[in-house]
Amino acid sequence: MSSILGAPGAEAFGPHSRPHDRTAPRGGARARGATLAVRNLTMRYPNGHVALHDVTLSVAAGEMVVVLGSNGSGKSTLMKCVVGMNRPSAGSVEVAGRDLTLLSGKALREARLPLALISQHANLVRRRSVLANVCCGTLGRYRTLATTLGCVPRDEVGPALGHLAEVGLAELAAQRAGTLSGGQAQRVAVARALAQAPQVLLADEPVASLDPEAADEVMRLLRRLASHDGLAVVCVLHQPELATRYADRLVGLRRGRTVFDRPAAEVSQREIAELYQADA
Amino acid sequence: MMSTTYKGPMPGGPSPARQIGTIAAVVLIAALFVQAWIVVQARPQDLVTGAHGMADIIARALPPAFDQFKPTLLPVLETIDLAIFGTVFGVVLAFPLAILAARNLTPAKPLYYAARAVIGVARAVPDLVWALLFVTAVGLGPFPGALALAVHSVGMLGRLFAEVIEDMDMGPVEALTLTGASRIQVFTHAVVPGVLPSLLGIALYRFDENLRSSLVLGFVGAGGIGFLLLTAMNLFQYQTVALLLIVTFVLVACAERISAYLRTLVA
Repeated sequence: MSSILGAPGAEAFGPHSRPHDRTAPRGGARARGATLAVRNLTMRYPNGHVALHDVTLSVAAGEMVVVLGSNGSGKSTLMKCVVGMNRPSAGSVEVAGRDLTLLSGKALREARLPLALISQHANLVRRRSVLANVCCGTLGRYRTLATTLGCVPRDEVGPALGHLAEVGLAELAAQRAGTLSGGQAQRVAVARALAQAPQVLLADEPVASLDPEAADEVMRLLRRLASHDGLAVVCVLHQPELATRYADRLVGLRRGRTVFDRPAAEVSQREIAELYQADA
Repeated sequence: MMSTTYKGPMPGGPSPARQIGTIAAVVLIAALFVQAWIVVQARPQDLVTGAHGMADIIARALPPAFDQFKPTLLPVLETIDLAIFGTVFGVVLAFPLAILAARNLTPAKPLYYAARAVIGVARAVPDLVWALLFVTAVGLGPFPGALALAVHSVGMLGRLFAEVIEDMDMGPVEALTLTGASRIQVFTHAVVPGVLPSLLGIALYRFDENLRSSLVLGFVGAGGIGFLLLTAMNLFQYQTVALLLIVTFVLVACAERISAYLRTLVA
């Protein structure tokens, strides 16, 4: 399997090009037409603070949506509600046709399997190898004694190497995760998410702690996973220039409300600037 | 230009109130030390007048009774085994207790408080007192000493393990939880690899401590070199005492070096 970053198509998403002429989803193994549907989501914390007001968001397979907004606008709360870390006060979150807000415990764990999250920090197990970290993405599908005792599923080693090749890090498979640079670690986190075989990929400020070059690499990778592998990608960003360069659609949040939800090409710089000025 | 009024401490130095507080703290510490001096009936002049007696004992201890070296080998092994038994049992019992006693991993609050209570009791009672209790229960010999070290180690290790677990990076735990891994998978794949090196380091350090404690435990009938030392002192065999002190020094120094080396390997 060739590396996405090294693939010929990857150059099309260079730092100065707008990748809107991208090819349609290939309809490969991961492109199962899954969508994420967030409807009328409201999140009120116990202290009375309302972090999200009636937010609605729909992401189709092969689409990449970037959520923009200043600190405290509700972006991270939205992500936490989508993955089930926060239980919303009202509204629904449907992944592959199942409403996660109605589930808990084992049922929620199983329903969440088509959904993978990449955080600002890669959150790798630093003392384990890169390959073992990627294999850990498959644990949700295994309930064997061996995986319970800390072994990685043998059948997943090959595919995991493939995912590492996809993110361009196959040669680092045996290396300890703690020795990686920030950009490499984030790409391993992407490979771990891919090992989960998700239909929806959520990325919560995935480039916040990366230098511009590494940030661009990760964004290219996410863009490629949406357009090439058909994943529904939702990415929270603080970098409007990256958002407009890579996203199909931009969603602006301000004080927990949706300000705009339009194709990236139709959102003006002034609108984005106002998004950040409003709460400054 | 906008002006603001700063009401915090000035960067030039501590405020007068803080200076008074510092002086009060120094006076308090001095008062505490003076009362300690009085309570322990400290008499430095006795050290001078007693120097002659000390010199006499040292003269009678030389040369050390090296011909007694062979009979000390079994007690040396006993001392090392006391430390091994105490440390291994301590680790085995302390690890599950530490998981229950760590705020970020405990499955339920009542279990947290119960585990903290067990750890607190095991730690608060000194190993010497545990040894006296176990001597009463199971008789003289190395076994009560080993049990005493094990129970005290549960307390010491339980607390240190729990602190390591509470300080661990919870990012990988969250990440694996979101992949759909079960609680036990998250534990074995994220928690254990994250904390294991620190726990091993602490356990090795504990072995080092237990070795030194096992020497003292011999004084209350728990076997090992300590028991031999006590017997030799009671019989005024100062040359044997000198030999045993040399053996003790070598044993502790070797254990310290080996423990330090192993800790660097697992770091």
